[in-house]
Amino acid sequence: MAFNNRLLRALSPADQEILRPHLQFLELERGTVLVSPNEPITRVWFPESGLSSIIAMADSDQGIEVGLAGRDGLVGMPLVLDADRTPHRIFMQVTGVGYTIHGDLFRQLLDDHTSIRKLLLRYVQAYATQTTYTALANAMHTVEERLARWLLMSHDRQDDDEIPLTHDFLALMLGVRRPSVTIALHSLEGLGFIKATRGLIVVRKREELEEFAGAGYGVPEAEYERLIGQLG
Amino acid sequence: MPRFFLHIDGGTQRIEDEEGSELPDLAAANEEALGAARQLWAAAILRQQDIGSRRFVIASGDGNVVGMIEMNDALPRTLLDRLKI
Repeated sequence: MAFNNRLLRALSPADQEILRPHLQFLELERGTVLVSPNEPITRVWFPESGLSSIIAMADSDQGIEVGLAGRDGLVGMPLVLDADRTPHRIFMQVTGVGYTIHGDLFRQLLDDHTSIRKLLLRYVQAYATQTTYTALANAMHTVEERLARWLLMSHDRQDDDEIPLTHDFLALMLGVRRPSVTIALHSLEGLGFIKATRGLIVVRKREELEEFAGAGYGVPEAEYERLIGQLG
Repeated sequence: MPRFFLHIDGGTQRIEDEEGSELPDLAAANEEALGAARQLWAAAILRQQDIGSRRFVIASGDGNVVGMIEMNDALPRTLLDRLKI
């Protein structure tokens, strides 16, 4: 069976067969916590669909999204980098499915198979580029532009045009209060780029949205495609 | 917790809050609207826009209007005095 996860797909057929027997398929429901702050990471996830959010914590329950991983990536990156935990919290924010593998076994397989490790290290580089452009967008761009970027990033990681997200969630993602999200969605809707209904955002004009998002969108995506392969 | 809706009214349009927020009470809803108004002013000033004629209309879960926060309520009192608003 072909993988939908872009990292698993980018592995050579031989490397796919090395991982395959150890991968367990499971549902990843919205809200599922995959990684807890400062606790040993015992599993790695390769989402096939859905979206996970990497959150930098300000205190025990508040934080801001610093990264996004869906079918483009993996959750449990510290294990690729010879670290066993992270201060970040990672949870599913859009329900999906994926594969999981035991952490110790995963590390062993990376030690034994350099070609797998190399691909995943290139993903870490692509992910690092994503987070640096999040820093750029947070410092330089308006809420509207950042929302446009965020919608594009989540659109890239799914097959259809409907993004199932509430304003509350987007407020957490963008680090703003909910009315700022409501107004930003209203602006993008006014421009005809999207259609927002309760809990659902439909992307209508993808190219215009990309142009509107400005410098925050495009470079990390091009890096991903250079280092790993097709994102969409 | 009760749900409060923060609609934005004024200028030439009304922006409906379709989802609402769960908040402990009306005082918390007022506080949420004030905090949001400060954030909206910050963005408005950067783009040289005046949002002083807009307001938050706070509605309860059953749709009744239970409060109102003017965008100007979020500005420092001394500034409003100096501008004679």
